[in-house]
Amino acid sequence: MVTAAPVPAGSARRAPVANLWYGIIPAVALVAGFFAVPIAYIVGLSFSGSEGEGATLSNYFAFFSNDRFTDALLRSMLLATSAVALASVVALPLAWFLAFVVPARRRFLLLFLLIAPFWTSFTIRAFSWQLVLSDSGVIAFWLEKLLGRPVALGFLYSMEASIFGLTLFGIMLITVTVFSVMVTIDRRMLEANQDLGGGSWSGFREIVLPLSVPGWIVGAVLTFIICVGDYAVPTLLGGGFKPVLAQLMLSTLKGTYDLPMAATFAVVLMFVVILAAAPLALIRNQVRMLS
Amino acid sequence: MKPLRIGSQSWLVLLFSAVVAIIYLPIGVMAVFSVNSGRYQVMPFREFTWNWFGRVFRDDQYVAGLANSIGLAASVSVTATAVAFLCAYSLVNSRFPGRTFVTIMVLAPLAVPLILIGIGLRIYFVSIGFEPSLGLVFAGQVIYVLPLAILNLRNRIAQLPRSHEEAAWALGASRARSLVEIVLPSCRLAIVATLIMTFTFAFDEFVIAYFLTNFSITLPIKIWTSLVTGFDPAINAVGVMVFSFSMALGIVAQLLSMRRTHV
Repeated sequence: MVTAAPVPAGSARRAPVANLWYGIIPAVALVAGFFAVPIAYIVGLSFSGSEGEGATLSNYFAFFSNDRFTDALLRSMLLATSAVALASVVALPLAWFLAFVVPARRRFLLLFLLIAPFWTSFTIRAFSWQLVLSDSGVIAFWLEKLLGRPVALGFLYSMEASIFGLTLFGIMLITVTVFSVMVTIDRRMLEANQDLGGGSWSGFREIVLPLSVPGWIVGAVLTFIICVGDYAVPTLLGGGFKPVLAQLMLSTLKGTYDLPMAATFAVVLMFVVILAAAPLALIRNQVRMLS
Repeated sequence: MKPLRIGSQSWLVLLFSAVVAIIYLPIGVMAVFSVNSGRYQVMPFREFTWNWFGRVFRDDQYVAGLANSIGLAASVSVTATAVAFLCAYSLVNSRFPGRTFVTIMVLAPLAVPLILIGIGLRIYFVSIGFEPSLGLVFAGQVIYVLPLAILNLRNRIAQLPRSHEEAAWALGASRARSLVEIVLPSCRLAIVATLIMTFTFAFDEFVIAYFLTNFSITLPIKIWTSLVTGFDPAINAVGVMVFSFSMALGIVAQLLSMRRTHV
């Protein structure tokens, strides 16, 4: 007779029938074939010379000795860093407002009000800002009415305009990630702080802010990554005279067909992204809990 | 203990209102221009007209782009959601070596600018003899939305009580059968929300599509070309329609996501 083996604790979580691990196969195959392999290929390509000899760093020398290229790299990084910094200054109070000041039943409605416009395309939103900011746009029109003389704003097609557009996007994203951490904070800690004589400012600074760091890091890193590789906003709001990395990449790819150089741009961008994502490792455990 | 009092923080109300006003301002302006009879997008407002909207539907390129975009987004959304469901289920419920690695791998495209997905696919597939095409755009957009779909479905699957499935197994159901008859119906709202979300993202996606096509048109590509190559007074009407469409889908997906936490 076969008797049932004693069931070890916790085995109820394990599959008694077949282990369905192979459900991951389609996803892994797609990501391998259409993401990992192409990325590995362009990394390899960036080390190949135009003559087809062995591995060479010549593309990287060409990249870093060309001011136009390094300027574009720095511009992309400055753009992304500014957007993250400015967006954080606005997003942290907004998240605090939504998580602690607003009554719970209105919370999600207000959050939704903030997120909804970002459901639509980057391109349409960037374009709609042209209508407002251009020299013949709405702001210039009203300023002219107000001041009684023509006003040249000169704001559209500048680095500042790009930063402005990307900052708005960052405000949305960082508010959402910080909010999702803040709502999980135990309000009794704030009550205790209040009973001990602390005001809401000290509650924010000494309790809520430190606990919100993981949410802020996630939002800041994602914002940085999206902004540093963005193409639409720097083109529609920034103009093309001072190109960012993504713009050079596209003009190299579709213009000169210098594939090893385009691959080199991509690898440099990838390197920046990996550096930017490094802080995520610091909060790995919290991130795992959140997701 | 006294209940928590957060002092009157009217400056926060002000800040929130200001941010919302700034976010909605250009969309409002676009809506106004879309019904303005003036050919140029300059103030002041002239006469009210629906002409620009009609004109969009008489423009073959917009119509072709729209048809391509709907077909593409629908296939991307169905493929990504199906693949993501299987993957999310396995990640939540199975233990196997390399599980963490697989999780990181399938979520990795989320942490990479879209332009890298586009440029990688284009250079690699052209080098092995493919021409840029809508098929490649399909592959690129599936990669783009897959991590979001996996995260969305994984959250829902992880909430399901295991006891229902275990009861089915105890009664002799196979794992596959319990997956179809128990897990799938319990996740239906999350699945619909994921389908809508991935559809919207693919429908609006521009960078991957732009990198992976030479002559094919999707709606975002057509919009982009109108924006950068010349002046098209109908563009505001297009913008208003795309915006309303995406936002309506977004609202539905959001409502479904909120509801499913109570199911």
